[in-house]
Amino acid sequence: MGHRGRMNLRLYALAGLFVLGGAGLLFRVFYIQVVNEEHYKTAARQEHFGQQEVRAPRGAILDRNGYPLATTVDAYDVYVDRSAWRQEDDARRAAAVIAPLIGRPADALVEEVRKEDKGLYFAYSGLDFDKGGSLADEEAPGLRLVRTTKRFYPEGDLASNVLGFVGRDHAGLTGIEADLDRELGGVPGTIYFERDSIGNRIALGKEHIGRQPVPGGDVQLTLDRYIQRAAEGELEAQIAQTGALGGSIIVMQPQSGEVLAMASRPAFRLSALDLNDPDEALFRNRAVTDVYEPGSVFKTLTAAIAIDLGKATPESTYVDEGAVYIGPSTIRNWDYSVNGTMTMTQVLQRSLNTGAVWMSGLAGPDAFYRYVRDFGLGEATHAGLGGEADGLLRGNDDPYWSEVDLATNSFGQGLAATPLQIITAISSLVNGGRLMRPYVVESEQTPEGLRRFDPVVVRQVVREETARQVADMMNQVVEGIPGHLAAVRGYHVGGKTGTTTGATLADGTVRDGNIASFVGFAPAEDPQIIMLVKLDFKEDRLGGQVAAPVFGRLAPRILAYLGVRPDEPQLVQTTP
Amino acid sequence: MAITHRRTLALPLPAVHRPSGRLLAAGAIVLVVAAAVLQVYQLTRTTSTGYDIDALEQLRAARQAQQHRLEADVAQLSSLGRVDWEARTRLGLQPAQRQLYIGVNQPVPERQTLPARYLPSPMPAPPLDDPDDRLWKQAVRLLPFF
Repeated sequence: MGHRGRMNLRLYALAGLFVLGGAGLLFRVFYIQVVNEEHYKTAARQEHFGQQEVRAPRGAILDRNGYPLATTVDAYDVYVDRSAWRQEDDARRAAAVIAPLIGRPADALVEEVRKEDKGLYFAYSGLDFDKGGSLADEEAPGLRLVRTTKRFYPEGDLASNVLGFVGRDHAGLTGIEADLDRELGGVPGTIYFERDSIGNRIALGKEHIGRQPVPGGDVQLTLDRYIQRAAEGELEAQIAQTGALGGSIIVMQPQSGEVLAMASRPAFRLSALDLNDPDEALFRNRAVTDVYEPGSVFKTLTAAIAIDLGKATPESTYVDEGAVYIGPSTIRNWDYSVNGTMTMTQVLQRSLNTGAVWMSGLAGPDAFYRYVRDFGLGEATHAGLGGEADGLLRGNDDPYWSEVDLATNSFGQGLAATPLQIITAISSLVNGGRLMRPYVVESEQTPEGLRRFDPVVVRQVVREETARQVADMMNQVVEGIPGHLAAVRGYHVGGKTGTTTGATLADGTVRDGNIASFVGFAPAEDPQIIMLVKLDFKEDRLGGQVAAPVFGRLAPRILAYLGVRPDEPQLVQTTP
Repeated sequence: MAITHRRTLALPLPAVHRPSGRLLAAGAIVLVVAAAVLQVYQLTRTTSTGYDIDALEQLRAARQAQQHRLEADVAQLSSLGRVDWEARTRLGLQPAQRQLYIGVNQPVPERQTLPARYLPSPMPAPPLDDPDDRLWKQAVRLLPFF
């Protein structure tokens, strides 16, 4: 082979190497781009795209007529990029724009942000959407606005203890907000955005939604904003007038168990909510979390037990000697009175402890406690409100029970219940003997559809005739006593007062003081509302003096609002 | 062996004007430039449309926020606290001392409630790219080992 031939061979070999190299590269490109495309694409996406959770808009809480009590509006969270404020001039210029809109002094803001020189400083939560928009137009150095939402309360602080509130992460912390957090909160979505080499979002870069946020559902309550507002107003006025420490009012529809109003004081203010407030007691809904000795309102249940057992009638009589002796214990009437022969109706009218003890003796402990439990005492009502207490009840199956317990229990002492339990139990006496499950949520409108809650009859506690007789006796309690402060002009009403000393809290501790209460219903012929008024005092006050007048003022307003026609003809005019 | 000469008559070929190399090169350059311009044009249009979509999405978000704000304003203006305050301060009304109930022979008007507060579902964002629709990928998939 000559020199020329060797040259050609080397050239061919070199060309062959290039061809092989090119083919190898082509194959590699083909492998990456086609065969293993998804793997590299996913890796590239993870490298180039960041992920951010998109909060779902929280649903509204509406009253029974659809008026929003809590709703959600758009807003901005304000952040400052500390690295952009390293130069004092930039910091002062930006702070002059930002500070007035978030209600903070500019100097303080600059000082706070510049304590560190990198990272984001969280300056303000829930800036109004319009203010945020105008702030964005200012192009202040280092300003970062993040879209968010915030809770808005059109009715102000109304029903704060029932509604509850949400935390900074928009999760419900108390009240309905917490109890129905899953329904109200929705499901957050995911957004993917293009980011730069150090992970910051690229302005106007590519972005796409990975998972759509599912908006939270609306929750409609049984509360009526008018009745709730009237109840809260009367409660506050009475507390101010009488110097009470606090109290509760519950208004319920006795036929269905719908809670129309539930007011408690003291309470927190939604408009001035301070999550750092150490007094967490303000946040609880006392009408369902706190138990108390119901006192003489319980005598209505004792009367119902005796009548339903056929042991007594409203006209049955006993001789009141002013005291009952049970072993070493002596039980006297609250006013130390001695009344002679009394009917059962008079027992309720004069609230005689000795009469209640006599009726419980007729029933006997086994039947008495069976009925008491059937009235729902000793267990939560399952109204759907968080933190509900079971109450305290020591039945005759308890080894520490004694006959004195039966005697004191008969007039509502030595046991404890929540206001909601008491009004629910007495409701059964004005609705034909049915114990209804109280409820505050009427419906939930979620993306999956409408879920409506219907009244639930827990059980028939007493016969319909028994309930009617006791309701008549309660009517005589108010209308049989001239000048009763619970009387309502134009309507026949019924009710019973209660006064106890001391309050047993959910943890079993006893608080000094006095509790005055009244449970009433109207109109007596066809009860549309039943109301419990409970007031806490440091000093001794009588339910008939301080709680009954609240019913007397509030009931006619509610009845008129509900369109219940008064019985008194001269009060009514009819248009042609 | 006899050798014969066969004379064939060759027909005259038609005159063909073969394009010159320069013309071909120029045409190729024009095609390449046109393709590049088209690519740039498409890219520009896509980017521009992307900006438009982004701006419109922001506008939609702003409108939704305004709608929510207006609904909240309506709710606040119809709140009982505000109505009571207006009645007392602006109209000078006082709570009635004597109540008279008026029976009206008309059906109760239907209560006007506010609409349920659902955000309309945003349109699903288009995928960044959908390579499955590309012609060359469909062709590759026809190969026996894919």
